Amino acid sequence: MAARVGIVLVSHSASLAEGTAELAGQVGGGTVTIATAGGTDDGRLGTSIDKVESAIRRADTGGGVVILPDLGSSVLTVRTLLADELDDLPGPLEVADAPFVEGAVAAAVTAAAGGSLKAVLDAAQEARHARKL
Amino acid sequence: MPENCEATITLTGDLHARPAGALSVAAAQFSSAVQLAVGGGTEVDAKSVLSVMQLGASSGQEVTVRAAGPDAQEAVETLIGILSSATKVGD
Repeated sequence: MAARVGIVLVSHSASLAEGTAELAGQVGGGTVTIATAGGTDDGRLGTSIDKVESAIRRADTGGGVVILPDLGSSVLTVRTLLADELDDLPGPLEVADAPFVEGAVAAAVTAAAGGSLKAVLDAAQEARHARKL
Repeated sequence: MPENCEATITLTGDLHARPAGALSVAAAQFSSAVQLAVGGGTEVDAKSVLSVMQLGASSGQEVTVRAAGPDAQEAVETLIGILSSATKVGD
C-alpha cells in the first residue's frame, strides 16, 4: 500500500490547530499523520514560517502533504515558505482553499482511506460546499 | 458484473462524528458507489464524511445503505455492520 498523505494545519492559534488536529484525527480513526503549526515562535497569536516548515517535515510519510491554513496571514506564511522552493522540503505539497475544521475532517478521512494527494486536496476543498443544517 | 444491493437498519444510537468517519473510511475501500439515506430521504455519498454528518441520523431512525458496482453486496454488509456497532455507544 502506498504511503498515506499527511496533513498540516496552520493556524494563528496553537490551541485551535491542536484541537482541530485532535478532532480530525479521531474522526479519521487515528491512522493519519496530522502536524500542526499554530501561533508564533514565542507563543503568541500569529504564524511562524519555521513552524510551518517543521510541521511539513513531521507530516510527510512519503505520500505528499496537504496544507490547510486558517485565515489571512496563515495563507501568506505558507505561500512565502513554498515560494522559497527549499530543495530539501518533502513533497509533493498542496495548499487547500477550504474551511479549517470541515476541511481538516474531510481531508483526514480521505487520507485515512488511502486517498491520493489530489483526492485529499479535493475532499478538503469540497468542504466549502458542505452544509451543516 | 455490476450489481445493486440495499439494506436498511434502525439505529440504536446517534451517528456522531467518529462513526461517520469510520463509515466513510470503510465506504472508500469499495469501488461501488455507496449511498446513505435516512427514512427514505435524500441520498448522500457515504464516502463524503461531511455529507454523512449532515444526515444527522439519530437513534431510532432508519438508515438505508445502497450500493451499485462490482462489490456492492460486500459494501452494504460492511457499512450495515459499522452502523450497527459504531452507533451503540454515545460518542
